[in-house]
Amino acid sequence: MKANVGAGFKPAQTGVLVTLCLVAPLLGSIPAGRTSKAPEQRVRFAPVHIYLDSGATPLAAYQFELKAKTGQIKIVGVEGGAHPAFHAAPYYDPAALMHDRIIIAAFSTGADLPTGRTRIAAIHLQILGDAEPEYELKLAVAADAQGHSLDATSSIERGVRQ
Amino acid sequence: MKTKRTFTILAVVICMLLVLLGLLTPSLNRVGSLNRVRKFSTSGLHLADVREAELLAELHPELATLGAVAEDEIWVIAKPERSEAEGTEYETPGSGAMLAKIKEKDVPLPLKHTDVKGHVCGYIATVEVTQQFQNPFSEKIEAVYVFPLPQSAAVNEFIMVIGQRRIRGIIRERQEAEQIYAEARRQGYVASLLTQERPNIFTQKVANIEPGKQIDVNIKYFNTLAYADGWYEFTFPMVVGPRFNPPGYTEGVGAVGRGKAGLSGQTTEVQYLKPHERSGHDIALAVDIDAGVQIEEIACTSHAIKNSRAAPERVHVQLSPLDNIPNKDFVLRFKVAGETIKSALVTHRDERGGFFTLMLYPPDDLRQLTRAPMEMVFVLDCSGSMSGEPLDKVKGAVKRALRKLEPDDTFQVIRFSDRASQLGADPVPAMPENVRKALRYVDSLQSSGGTMMIEGIKAALDFPHDPRRFRLVSFMTDGYIGNEVEILGAIHEHLGESRIFSFGVGSSVNRYLLDRMAKLGKGAVAYIGLHDSGTEVVDRFYDRISHPALTDVRIDWGDMEVSEVYPRQIPDLFVGRPIVLTGRFQGRTDTTITVGGGLGEARRGIRIPVTFDDAAATHPGIACVWARKRIEDLAGRAACDSDLDVSGEIKHVALQYGLMSAYTAFLAVDSSRTTEGDHGVTVVVPVPVPDGVRYDTTVQD
Repeated sequence: MKANVGAGFKPAQTGVLVTLCLVAPLLGSIPAGRTSKAPEQRVRFAPVHIYLDSGATPLAAYQFELKAKTGQIKIVGVEGGAHPAFHAAPYYDPAALMHDRIIIAAFSTGADLPTGRTRIAAIHLQILGDAEPEYELKLAVAADAQGHSLDATSSIERGVRQ
Repeated sequence: MKTKRTFTILAVVICMLLVLLGLLTPSLNRVGSLNRVRKFSTSGLHLADVREAELLAELHPELATLGAVAEDEIWVIAKPERSEAEGTEYETPGSGAMLAKIKEKDVPLPLKHTDVKGHVCGYIATVEVTQQFQNPFSEKIEAVYVFPLPQSAAVNEFIMVIGQRRIRGIIRERQEAEQIYAEARRQGYVASLLTQERPNIFTQKVANIEPGKQIDVNIKYFNTLAYADGWYEFTFPMVVGPRFNPPGYTEGVGAVGRGKAGLSGQTTEVQYLKPHERSGHDIALAVDIDAGVQIEEIACTSHAIKNSRAAPERVHVQLSPLDNIPNKDFVLRFKVAGETIKSALVTHRDERGGFFTLMLYPPDDLRQLTRAPMEMVFVLDCSGSMSGEPLDKVKGAVKRALRKLEPDDTFQVIRFSDRASQLGADPVPAMPENVRKALRYVDSLQSSGGTMMIEGIKAALDFPHDPRRFRLVSFMTDGYIGNEVEILGAIHEHLGESRIFSFGVGSSVNRYLLDRMAKLGKGAVAYIGLHDSGTEVVDRFYDRISHPALTDVRIDWGDMEVSEVYPRQIPDLFVGRPIVLTGRFQGRTDTTITVGGGLGEARRGIRIPVTFDDAAATHPGIACVWARKRIEDLAGRAACDSDLDVSGEIKHVALQYGLMSAYTAFLAVDSSRTTEGDHGVTVVVPVPVPDGVRYDTTVQD
């Protein structure tokens, strides 16, 4: 006796069944409660490295402000620089951060202070979006061991530096 | 016709296969990656089918021998899925295949060591806590550790240390910090997150710790020391005690056995080691004290210590390496030369303005006066967590207190656990016969059941006040509850004319709850450790209440231009018990502070000269201490008024001063490199139950 699998199904019913069967797995793969959603913004993490060049004068203190001229960034960590005098993690201003301003400062009371171009800090950032942010770095002050303001130039390098 | 029928048959078969595949999709998703597989609990079910077993073996070769193990040892991979927030993800390697690698009684965990360095200057402590996380497993992990800090700690610094590199954490709104951390973790970056669950309970998460690697987290806080009867007290809590949560409550702090993540259903959960288990986590602690005046005596009843004096006013204290299991509060007391204790003002100025703390001592002559009759209400926690030594301590203390009552006093004894009951219908005079009956009643009390503290509060505060007597309600408890806000709200609502003196009994009590109860109740708090003499603590308590308090305290700040002083309502000043006021000020002119208070019908006054010269006491932590007090005040007001939304204000203060709060969190991400692979398994750090607390009566297992 042959099994008459198709018997009892009219073509229209079979069509509905086929459609349901084809759609069901797809429905099953959509998590409950999920609706159509805008594409999520790309999120990545990267550091920027801050350099100061104080020429021949030993650098004892600094304060700078960093912001993104284009792109969206969030600070997620602050790390010290290369020279032992500024190796400790510098301080940031939490009140300024409330207004999306990143203000970093450090000082050293040690005798061994850096001269010339030195990496003073690494700022760890979360970057939102695909575009590479353009940064603006403002050096508020650089000072020598006597607390006198000194001429120094600041610069930024992006990306990983081991 | 035959072709058509064959087509129909084929179509139906294909459809059935598709349906079957659709049904299987969740199962296939479950075993779709190694890490997902590991997220499932090991309790309850068996391998679902051969296909899953094959996939599992392929992804997890060490499980390929599953067929050879006894049925009750088979891994379980199917369990109803829950969201990450519910905690299912918190699987310990020790609960699955990795358990085989663990020796009995020795549980390798990612928290290797805690190092505590305190520096006390006057009555302000600066404390640095370093938690050393290390991955002892063969694959990448995320470590999660729920730990305590003092309830008044103003946590304002967080540094993640990777080898020689130190990354300062950033304070952010909690939700934002959690999102950033989750993303960094997902992308494989080493990251850490510190959140506050209660003012004295915090959660530390460290993501993407690679096998064999160590990551340290350094936390710094300030707090003011407690002072009573000539002794300053430095405390450092080492373990969160197991909390009881009322039925239906989910915002509490759950207590579950190791590897039983999610069992309590509470938003915060602490996992505990079983009594026979021991983790390698130990603690080192050192405190440098610079009291400013001669230190007469040092005492530590909680731990073995060594101390060395550098000068009469300076001492270095170190925890003995033989006492390095972190299962009880470290409590260090030091007594300074009595004659030099005067009300002390410490200030700090920065670009935000001036900040101060004032430790205000009661007038000396209060000791010459005797007290009015009292209505004493003793409220004893007889829940399961008080079983054994803590309840014995409570009984001893209450019996001592009953014997010290005077005939004009009345008293009541109330016990509570799941419900409350009491000695008699109403308070009775402290006649010898009534006292003897009460002593027998106290002796008969036993511990069991939950901590329905609300029942004890209602029973203690909800009866008419005798206007001829000063009502003192004395709560004796470990405070092991998860619904603190509800309890504090109830105290505020029912307090009336009562004063609350809370006694924390045990080795690791909930000091946040007990302190807040006493503050709300305009009374004071005292702690009886398992190695303290309950009799001495009660005697000091009676000495305090045997003299009238200075009530309705008001302060004329002179030329200091003071604002935003906390506590908002200045509590009564009891003998031997100063209060600490914290506020903001302007002005630089030397002046005199005048403190006035009521003593019955009369008024008494104290004058405190203030100078701002170079020799004046200053401390940079005062601004943070003030901000922390402001947050405490805001949270306290919200606990008393459920319609009040203070989250925005708390967030603002916390972000402005870079402080931890319930609405802010510290976050640090090392963006310079990603680790290989997925984020790995989450390992919750289980902790020992506190010394003297029974696992079987307190932990869900």
